[in-house]
Amino acid sequence: MARYIGIRLLAMIPLLFAIAVISFAIAVAMEARGSIAGSVCGEGATIECIAQVERQLGLDDPMPIRFVRWLASAATGDLGTSLTNQSVSVSSLIADRIGATLSIVAYSLVIGVAAGMAMGIVSAVRPGGVADRALSVASAALIAAPGFVLAMLLSWWLAVEWGWLSPAGYTRPSESITGWIRSITLPAIGLALPTVALVQRQLRSSMTNALQSRYVLAARARGIRRTSLIGEHALPNAMIPTVTAIGFRAAAALGLTFTVEVVFNINGMGTLLTNAIQTRNVTVLQGSMLVVGIVVLVVNLLVDISYGLLNPKVRLER
Amino acid sequence: MSDASTAVAVSAPQPVQAARARSGFWMRLFRNPLTVAAAVWVTLLLLAWLWPGLLAPHDPYAGDVTLTRTFEGPSWDHWLGTDGQGRDLYSRVVFGARFAVNSILIAMVVAIGLGVPLGLFSGWRGGRADRIVMWVNDVLFSLPIVLLAMAVIIILEPSLPSAMLGVGIAMATRFVRLTRAVTLAEKEEMYVDAARITGLSPPAILRRYITPNLLPSLIVQVAIISGAVILIGATLSFLGIGAKLDDPDWGVMLARARFDFRLEGIWQIVPAGGALVLTVLAFNLLGDGIRDSLGRDAASSSLTVPRKVALPPVVQLHANGAVLSIRDLAVGFPAPGGMVNRVLSDVSLEVFPGETLGVVGESGSGKSMTMLAALGLTPAPGYLSQGSVSFDGREVTFLPEQEWQEIRGRDIGMIFQEPVAALNPALRVGRQLMQSLLVHTDMSKSQARARAAELLAEVQVPDPERRLDQYPHEFSGGMAQRVGIAMALACEPKLLIADEPTTALDVTVQGQILDLMAEVQQRHGMAVILITHDLGVIADAADRVLVMYAGQVVETASVSTLFSRPRHPYTRALLDTMPQSHRGHGDLPVIGGVVPSAAAWPDGCRFAPRCEFATDQCRTSVPLLEAVGTDLVRCVRHAEFEFGPHAETSA
Repeated sequence: MARYIGIRLLAMIPLLFAIAVISFAIAVAMEARGSIAGSVCGEGATIECIAQVERQLGLDDPMPIRFVRWLASAATGDLGTSLTNQSVSVSSLIADRIGATLSIVAYSLVIGVAAGMAMGIVSAVRPGGVADRALSVASAALIAAPGFVLAMLLSWWLAVEWGWLSPAGYTRPSESITGWIRSITLPAIGLALPTVALVQRQLRSSMTNALQSRYVLAARARGIRRTSLIGEHALPNAMIPTVTAIGFRAAAALGLTFTVEVVFNINGMGTLLTNAIQTRNVTVLQGSMLVVGIVVLVVNLLVDISYGLLNPKVRLER
Repeated sequence: MSDASTAVAVSAPQPVQAARARSGFWMRLFRNPLTVAAAVWVTLLLLAWLWPGLLAPHDPYAGDVTLTRTFEGPSWDHWLGTDGQGRDLYSRVVFGARFAVNSILIAMVVAIGLGVPLGLFSGWRGGRADRIVMWVNDVLFSLPIVLLAMAVIIILEPSLPSAMLGVGIAMATRFVRLTRAVTLAEKEEMYVDAARITGLSPPAILRRYITPNLLPSLIVQVAIISGAVILIGATLSFLGIGAKLDDPDWGVMLARARFDFRLEGIWQIVPAGGALVLTVLAFNLLGDGIRDSLGRDAASSSLTVPRKVALPPVVQLHANGAVLSIRDLAVGFPAPGGMVNRVLSDVSLEVFPGETLGVVGESGSGKSMTMLAALGLTPAPGYLSQGSVSFDGREVTFLPEQEWQEIRGRDIGMIFQEPVAALNPALRVGRQLMQSLLVHTDMSKSQARARAAELLAEVQVPDPERRLDQYPHEFSGGMAQRVGIAMALACEPKLLIADEPTTALDVTVQGQILDLMAEVQQRHGMAVILITHDLGVIADAADRVLVMYAGQVVETASVSTLFSRPRHPYTRALLDTMPQSHRGHGDLPVIGGVVPSAAAWPDGCRFAPRCEFATDQCRTSVPLLEAVGTDLVRCVRHAEFEFGPHAETSA
């Protein structure tokens, strides 16, 4: 297993490089369309402002040198300073926000995968049954609904029916663990609902196949109990394709959490990125892109590891 | 010089699409009411896109100047109520279709325009170019679409078109994958090869052969991705970096609802959110519907399964002292049109302690189905429609699953045809072996493990301790079948059912496995049912033989009688195909044709169409199983035959 993980880690290096190139290319492309400094400083731009921005971006040097310099400082955690507020470093801005975003995404994945797996198993045990048909209809509807609309309806319903106003804003776990969980529960549920549907669909189909397989028939012929047939024999095999689907969903959820953050007034990556785009703050976007890209790579690594754990053939080969 | 012949050769490969029947597609597509509803909704969407004024009674931008009619609920004037400026929400939702369809158009033009040519190029060229394109594609594919769109938005400017340009680039990665896969598959097809050799240029091949095959999956993807595009568009507009703040875009309307959250403006979620969800749902359903209609056997759905036929309890006489006794067993499978295919009928057999019963017949004759049905393992949607099974003197025909679990594995062991497929790939072999012991005995985990190692040693698996911790893929077929035997024997059953235990194995291994089975039978003194289509195996191992054809027993006899004096023409034909019986020269004889499927069984004798002795009588009258001494035979003319041991026939 260690060897398998090692190979996966090495394979990440070129991917990391590719994400760095994409992030860097954003500034290059903006420049090609016209002065970044001009658009950052606005219409009544002062010479000082423009000079300051150009110095920050190091626009005088040739492109390869700029890329190497940007990459080198990024490697040390220095992503430059915000173009709209020179006293703030991009890495501190991201560090400040990413906790909330990652908490919501991770929490939503836990809820979504757990509920989706339960629903998928129920569906697969009796495909075509009443429960399966009801769950499949629910899934189709949830897949079509954006997480933030569900989050809004959820908080509205809680507020109207229960008089329970959702705590707006984000509480750090360092301040209060219960407060932290309370602050991210509703956003996580909103984001989790489409995940539930995706996991249910995938697991239903792969689990139905697994339950019809030779090895499950053989296990039944040995008198193995139903719970073990479902949980020990069919589920691990059915999870292999499901894990891949969960990996894709995790990456997508990272992008979609931004809206849920807005709904619940949480200062996460969503507001940071939205503001950066509106003020054309390219250093912030570059840095965020790089960080989110790294998170996606880590998610892919986790998917690969669980793939190996579930599938001995993958783990033991090579 | 060869121009004329080239022209002929080029015309030979036929475009696949021309041959495919198209008329059935629309019928199938619109048979599903959900697909029809989805198509209606998409049509409405397109109408609203072309002529929104036709559907919307109010100006979507003009508010109520007096600001008295704000945040209203549905009313006669305003079917879906009004927003904070008193604007008609219904009209705004209708005009929102403009933004939705425009979004799809921009994103699709970009995604298909980039993705399809790149996928074609990548799949067609292969090699290094393919690897580079796919590598870059995979990197982009793994990044969140929203983030990629944000990158494009900051480079250009925050607007819906630039957002959709970004979404289009992200979605292009899906089309690259799809197009490349189709191109790779089609490139290998014979007709494309032929066209390439005869000098048709690559663009012409792409146009004539690959594009028609790509189109169906492309349409399905366009429908499903359209839904995703609308979702992401709404997400970006909601964040304020898509459509403008005043536009009647669904995402913007939701942002307004969010803004007016505490001001009774929450109702605004419903029109915009509803339109959004229904539109995405419609595109998804349409995509699913098209995909299902393109599939060949879309008609067979699980919804047409009829209820199980309730059986009257029949008291059956079972042979005394038999370990397993089956009487008049029949298994039905639901067929199209409410019909039932009886894949087994009137199957009876018994097996006594210490005895080996051989069951022979070609594939499809119902041997395995008989055993599965007898053990309560009839594969769904099949069901037991008649008959009675007794095991060890106990009626087990309709035993509840829980009681069956006690018997299977403990009193009855089963060995399967494909030993590796019968093992769970995700579980260690030791765990699977121990499971039987833990379920059926009082052993502790460590006792079970020790016993599992013993069992492996007993079936001559070398190094059993180490083997216990290995996974099935680390076993060869022969070794896996030894594991299969060890599992079947784990609880020292009274009956061992071996379903083609050596068919999937090497010839050299076959002998070893049969010897091993004979040895364990001697040691444990159990009854064995040996299913095979190989009469050589029967000759070596069985005491009595049961011959099956097309879901029926056609002959039973002792081994010596069967080989020396077969009574049924089918048995004789089987014997003739044995290499051992073939003394002459020339080709080994084969039985012409195959076992017909259950739906196509003839009315009279089921073997008649393939039987060289069949008369008109055979084709009309249904032969019954008749007793001849202690043996049984199902043939109306059996008294006329005198088949010797591989001798000439005297019919």
